[in-house]
Amino acid sequence: MKKLIAALSAATVLAGPAAAQDTYFPIIAKGFSHQFWQAVKAGADAAAERNGVSITFEGPNTEAEIDKQTDILNAAIAKKPQGLGFAALDSQAQVPALRKAADAGIPIVAFDSGVESDLPLTTCTTDNLAAAAAGADGLAEAIGGEGKVAAIIHDQTSATGIGRRDGFLNQIEAAYPNIEIVDVQYANDALKATETAKAMLQANPDLKGIFASNEGAAIGLAVAIKESGSDIVGVGFDSGKSQKDAILDGTLRGSITQNPVGIGECVVDSLAKAMKGEELPEVIDTGFYWYDKDNMDDPQVAAVLYD
Amino acid sequence: MSETARAPIVELTGIGKSFPGVRALNEVKLDLYPGEVVALMGENGAGKSTLMKIMTGVYQPDEGEIRVDGERVTLPGPTAAQDLGISIIHQELFLMNHLTAAQNIYIGREPRKGMGMFVDEAKMKADAAKIFARMKVDIDPGQEVGELTVARQQLVEIAKALSFNARVLVMDEPTSALNEREVEHLHTIVDDLKAQGVGIIYITHKMAEVKRIADRIMVMRDGEYIDTLPAAETSLDTVIQMMVGRELASQHRAGGEAQAEEVLRVEGLNRGRMVENVSFSLRKGEILGFAGLMGAGRTEVARVIFGADPLESGTIHVHGAPRQIDSPKDAVENGIAYLSEDRKQFGLVTGMTVRDNITMPSWKRFIKGRFFMRDGAMNKVAREYVAKLKVKTPTIDQETRLLSGGNQQKVVIAKWLLRDCDILIFDEPTRGIDVGAKAEIYTLLEDLAAQGKAVIVISSELEEVLRLSQRILVMCEGRITGELDGRTATQEDIMTLATVRHDEVA
Amino acid sequence: MTEAATATPSEQARKGLMTVGTLQKAVAFVVLVLLLGFFSIFAPNFAQWSNMVNIMQATAVNGVLGVAVTFVIITGGIDLSVGTMMTLTAVVAGLILTNLGLPLPLGIAGAVLFGGFMGSISGFSIAKLKIPPFIATLGMMQIARGLALVFSGAKPIYFNDTPSYYYIASESSISLLIPGLEIPNGVLIMFGVAIISSIVLTRTILGRYIFSLGSNEEAARLSGVNVDLWKIVTYGVSGMICGVAGLLISSRLNSAQPALGLGYELDAIAAAVIGGTSLSGGRGTVLGTIIGAFIMSVLTNGLRVMGVQEEWKIVITGVIIIAAVYVDIMLRKKG
Repeated sequence: MKKLIAALSAATVLAGPAAAQDTYFPIIAKGFSHQFWQAVKAGADAAAERNGVSITFEGPNTEAEIDKQTDILNAAIAKKPQGLGFAALDSQAQVPALRKAADAGIPIVAFDSGVESDLPLTTCTTDNLAAAAAGADGLAEAIGGEGKVAAIIHDQTSATGIGRRDGFLNQIEAAYPNIEIVDVQYANDALKATETAKAMLQANPDLKGIFASNEGAAIGLAVAIKESGSDIVGVGFDSGKSQKDAILDGTLRGSITQNPVGIGECVVDSLAKAMKGEELPEVIDTGFYWYDKDNMDDPQVAAVLYD
Repeated sequence: MSETARAPIVELTGIGKSFPGVRALNEVKLDLYPGEVVALMGENGAGKSTLMKIMTGVYQPDEGEIRVDGERVTLPGPTAAQDLGISIIHQELFLMNHLTAAQNIYIGREPRKGMGMFVDEAKMKADAAKIFARMKVDIDPGQEVGELTVARQQLVEIAKALSFNARVLVMDEPTSALNEREVEHLHTIVDDLKAQGVGIIYITHKMAEVKRIADRIMVMRDGEYIDTLPAAETSLDTVIQMMVGRELASQHRAGGEAQAEEVLRVEGLNRGRMVENVSFSLRKGEILGFAGLMGAGRTEVARVIFGADPLESGTIHVHGAPRQIDSPKDAVENGIAYLSEDRKQFGLVTGMTVRDNITMPSWKRFIKGRFFMRDGAMNKVAREYVAKLKVKTPTIDQETRLLSGGNQQKVVIAKWLLRDCDILIFDEPTRGIDVGAKAEIYTLLEDLAAQGKAVIVISSELEEVLRLSQRILVMCEGRITGELDGRTATQEDIMTLATVRHDEVA
Repeated sequence: MTEAATATPSEQARKGLMTVGTLQKAVAFVVLVLLLGFFSIFAPNFAQWSNMVNIMQATAVNGVLGVAVTFVIITGGIDLSVGTMMTLTAVVAGLILTNLGLPLPLGIAGAVLFGGFMGSISGFSIAKLKIPPFIATLGMMQIARGLALVFSGAKPIYFNDTPSYYYIASESSISLLIPGLEIPNGVLIMFGVAIISSIVLTRTILGRYIFSLGSNEEAARLSGVNVDLWKIVTYGVSGMICGVAGLLISSRLNSAQPALGLGYELDAIAAAVIGGTSLSGGRGTVLGTIIGAFIMSVLTNGLRVMGVQEEWKIVITGVIIIAAVYVDIMLRKKG
């Protein structure tokens, strides 16, 4: 089925007058201004140049604006592109809009989080459950496998928020019987994460470690540890200069990085492959790394970290 | 005040002013001498306010000239006029309720200290206190204006005008919201200012006031200057004729016969100190007047009957049966309508059209299919009432804020008639309505009574009560102090009952 | 009753030393004390000096933004742009210090003055172009948000080249003078802004005109007050205070985060309203707003320390806002 759609769309591109024009892929992310998305964009731009296609990279202001993202999606479909990259804010609600694209013969590649449908040819994503579990391992190891820990999650409704929360909690429960999870709170920006972390430290003076589930939460966690002079173990997620600096100076123990550049590349490469009629796997895991002071400069890690 | 030795402080000649589509003033003149009061009279829309706005620098004239002390001047703004000693006290008090009296008086020209950054509050208060002393009033300059009574707010406005060393003071209907005693106090202050050589232009609709304080009467009509006459030698009828351009039957007395059927009976109504043991009855086709001084409790009685305030004890019978009236909704369902003196605040939705205002309480009747308004039927009914009550409006889609006071009142009446109200309580039905329209409202009320409606008229204007009512109830300090026959009662009778002391009744 | 010289009930109340304004503030203060008491009993580890410092620090940004909107709300206006304006000024400080490498005082001055400039633009569109404040500042909210992203290239700007930047909000200079008084500079700056603003509002010409605009703009105009000018100045001052908030937040995070800021305006307005500032204008105090901001952060901190979920924290904050305004209305009726 997927192959057929891909073949059909490739055929239209070849047959129609569009073939003479530039090949164009709109890439619709969950956000735009966040560092993570800028890194995805960088990867997509690089792949676009390599494949000789043109792309646009757009996203709503916040990850709550599902309706705005749907508007962006509809506008993109109306431009009759040769392919579409889409990171769904809601894995179910936006399926009908995507079906329009599929009906118009536009190949779709999902990224970051999946879509609960067989419309996308493939999904370029980080396995958030596995990545957060690696964070749990890093945290557990640093505190010696016992004591109280807590988590600050960046969002209570999105797939990444839920995936990272559950990945962390499940791993602690499954693998570390002597670690107790005392608190899980949500904070959607760095300042709120700071106040949240400080309240956690206040409420639990014997806290051993805190896991923060994205860049903003990790920055907040680092500020809180620094301000309170606490010696707990902090583990973050994603990268960014603040977080990298905090790891280098020992404020945070380490962090999980996805491969945002790889995600961006994967989206554009997959779309290009689809146009050529190549078959794609259902999911392309773009990978993640645990990084800390010791391996930050390893070439394969340094390549996926962003400032 | 026409001694040749004296020169006018202000002289306006040949003033013309147009607004888009309207010729507001045409060839108007005015002169004002030191130490005199000129009553400026005319119907609403005659151009009085526009003329005053030109004299105080709010508007610029298209034609004509303004001379102050014989020198030709231009007044680009209110500040320029104030600098020349010309001040105005607006009808709607332009005060800042959250600021103190002293702060209001010196707004825009506060005494400063600390390199001009800080307000010198102490000096400001002291200066304000001096002005109040000159006026012989005891207002605390540090008091927030919003906490003062309307009468005292008025005094703050006057103090503000005086603080500019005003030599010319324009007072626009200053007594419209004052009670008799407050009015008298204000008149004393006007006398004092006169004696100090201040020239005053006094805009009012109240003839009695004109007689009391004015030296000359200037009349305007339709943006034209009509005449200026010495007050002492001019009869009120003459003035009214000049204002409306026709004769008015002002000495008319109540006619009409009440029918036997009692529609409303109130027994032993009590609420606080303003409503004490009030009992009366109202018959079909009757106009019952409620007279008394302001604050005598008349409005309070009406509000209790209308369900706007809860009653403490007493019974209300409508058409012979006792009724529980807990809210205005209950009252309206019993056919009782209350037409407040403050139409803009309570009676009308001024931003909505004539049609919507008339039909609003009856909207339920104009619904089809549960959700949709039957616009056609509403238009028809609205037109019918506009015609019946002779509302002057270009279309029924006109916003009511653009209508004159008299026509607004008619819209309010229409809306209650449409709602099948047969007991109509009018609170100050002609407040803010000019002389010509007043007569029309009177006729309308009489027509309503003749059609079998029962009407209560609460009015502070004795002439109005006498003119309309078949029976008059007089209230004082929350009690009914007497009942008079409208056909034989005199103003003195009413005043006697209206000032009966509490202990004398008891 | 009809005697002109008789004092009205509220005049009598005034003479009894208790005006509605002070009563309102007293109520807000009592609520604050009750909340502190409640959490001290029910939230373990809440009542510690270190946590009080946490709370003060958590109040700083919202308190300063609250003061910024208080100015505007007293004129009868509203400012929805304070949150993103804060972000924009933080970015401007970053451009000056990090990208241009200029000295710290220039960065501080630049952020505050740029805030003032942007605020005056809001004021200009309201006063001269007659755009309703809600719309004008809604537009400014987006403009500031967009400019913050454009100026920063949608990336955080770090202050690592200006190490002293971190001291603006986070260290405690006063503890050097008075050992043991570990109050962070950011908190002192908030109190400083509050005291200066309070003096400006109650003692200066500007403050007088701000109240007169909210009380009766037409009256002020007819009294010869240059209404348009003072409105522009008011929004300008509000923008400058947003600049201070921008310095505080970026100093604490040691970076200007261009994506942050949306939603902070509503917290700021809530602080002002809880503190007794009337949205219809003419009434409000800086002290009330600061107390309002403290109520919000005590509530947030206390519920977090108790381990109550974020979702419920939001619900409870909403209830407190409505309750505060209800109390205000009741007091006003009786007053």
